[in-house]
Amino acid sequence: MSLIIDDLTVKLYTDFKKKEFFNVADSVSFTIQNGEIMAVVGESGSGKSFLGLSLMRLNPPYISEISSGSILISDSGSSEKIDIVKLKENQLSGVRGRLISMIFQDPNVSLNPVIKIGDQIVEAILAHKKMKKKDACDIAIHYLELMRIDGKARFNSYPHELSGGMRQRVMIAMAMVLEPAVLVADEPTTALDVKTSLQVLALIEKMRFEKNVSVLFITHDLSIARNISDKTIVFYAGQIMEYGLTEDIITNPAHPYSISLTKSVPGLSRDYAPRERLFVIPGSLSQSDFKSGKCRFYNRCFKKTERCLTEIPLLKLSSGRFARCVNIQ
Amino acid sequence: MNNGKDSEVLSINKLSKHYYGYGSLFNFKKNIIKAVDNVSFKVYKGDIFSIVGETGCGKSTLSKLILGLTSRSSGEIFYQGNILNYNLRKSDLRKKIQIVFQDPYSSLNPKKKIYKIVSLPAIKNKTIKKKDALQYSMQMLKKVGLDENYVFKFPHELSGGQRQRISIARSLSVNPELLVLDEPVSALDVSVSAQLLNLLLDLHEKNNLTYIFITHDLRLVRHMADKVCVMYGGKIMEISPVDKFFNGPLHPYSRVLLESILAYGPKNILQFADAGNISLNNINTGIKKNSSGCVYYNLCSRREVQCINNEPELKENGDVQVNCFFPYYSSE
Repeated sequence: MSLIIDDLTVKLYTDFKKKEFFNVADSVSFTIQNGEIMAVVGESGSGKSFLGLSLMRLNPPYISEISSGSILISDSGSSEKIDIVKLKENQLSGVRGRLISMIFQDPNVSLNPVIKIGDQIVEAILAHKKMKKKDACDIAIHYLELMRIDGKARFNSYPHELSGGMRQRVMIAMAMVLEPAVLVADEPTTALDVKTSLQVLALIEKMRFEKNVSVLFITHDLSIARNISDKTIVFYAGQIMEYGLTEDIITNPAHPYSISLTKSVPGLSRDYAPRERLFVIPGSLSQSDFKSGKCRFYNRCFKKTERCLTEIPLLKLSSGRFARCVNIQ
Repeated sequence: MNNGKDSEVLSINKLSKHYYGYGSLFNFKKNIIKAVDNVSFKVYKGDIFSIVGETGCGKSTLSKLILGLTSRSSGEIFYQGNILNYNLRKSDLRKKIQIVFQDPYSSLNPKKKIYKIVSLPAIKNKTIKKKDALQYSMQMLKKVGLDENYVFKFPHELSGGQRQRISIARSLSVNPELLVLDEPVSALDVSVSAQLLNLLLDLHEKNNLTYIFITHDLRLVRHMADKVCVMYGGKIMEISPVDKFFNGPLHPYSRVLLESILAYGPKNILQFADAGNISLNNINTGIKKNSSGCVYYNLCSRREVQCINNEPELKENGDVQVNCFFPYYSSE
């Protein structure tokens, strides 16, 4: 077991005095095994990026806080597990990059434009390991080549000389260079073209097999989740709405929100015909949905009954399949 | 949908747009970038004609050429039999072709209220008088499914989907016949884009519009379009009806593009990494840049000696047009 998240709750304050808040992640628990890809799907504003940031404790300080729960990662050297929530601020930089690292959405802004890409990767290695700079360069070139970039020729390139897909591959190389146990990928293909996004996805998949890394893959595109992930979390308003094997969730969704999501994408549901009007989820996700004592999807649900007006726990449907809804037969 | 060949709306004949990169002070014009190169196609009334291709294949340049937003290097555009020449200030032609841009955040003027944005094209084209602007924009907003009260808001008060609806309302305000949609939903969220696709299909049926739908998402093409036009390196690779295209395209590039749609079957990504896939192995090579031969030569799986020096042309093959010497046969 490589990443265990237990009852993680993240508060986001809405005023300066830290009196009013809502939970952007509300008692989230799941585990990712070694070499497993877990997808988190949901609308924008549902808190899935915040969840990814919280795993690295990169959630914005002063306005947000991890109030309870634990994030356990097994350290490669010892048998003990490290709890990221309990680490002090100065210990965190030793963990970020070495045990858990992240690929961000937009490769255009996440690389430093005035430093050569090779130097940026070498900097990451030297921050964690004591070795000669020349050896670090060799490792960097090796990882660039794993990402199918001509390492020697591109080592001295600046980010603006590369295309968008190449920059994203450099980001993956940089994230993987210290061989972390967990990789958080926050919509890595949204800013990319169809063909380049396929290449990036294939490389993430390859890293999973070769380096046995566990991946938390955040996306809003169900068809990408279907292709890359083993298990899927459907995330809405800070809560896990449904959890299970990806293929089960997409072909046979149980929660009304998952059903609505699969119906609103062309070509995903079973009874699909071209030009048929797509299903539209009424209303939109608002901040008040995060606070309410009832089911968080209540206002937009097509199956709502009076039983939904109480707080609903995550119910077990079958082995390894959970949904947060009381109206499932 | 097709009412025969007599009702063609837009006909493009050998259209080219070349940009010149200046190599040095004296040998300028040496570095020619052919953004759109020798492109010809026809769009019939009521069709949804979709143009697909990866980034940098010239699809946006083509849309600009149709709108007259940039000058063409050679070739002609005919609109219902008349040569389209925006320099002649034929304002009635301007009215008939409109565009919806990709990014709803940068295509609306942040300093103007919605009713001014929506009614401006109609006032400039003398469809309505200035005093009717408010009433008219309320009508337009109703047409795209927005509340009438939005006329007094500013663009920053609206969400992405609402802004895109405003852009559509603005384009529809002059009663166009041809609407160019330049990736209208790629900047939007899942459920919002579903709403917008439904709206576009509704408007298409109600107002008898013709769409040119530019996208890189083949799932949307299958959902919306009648005809698919695949572009690569500024050239048209294949034009075919949508059901034929998805049953097996003829051009090698179209096959690669179709394989890369992720909606098809679960768990096939690693196939792309392992199975000697061309698009992955030759990642550093790309569009063939010297003037002779096929532009897709470098990445092609069916290339032969003939393709290096001879340029293929768009040939009719039934109702499919293919730009290749060695196309797949539909049975393969």
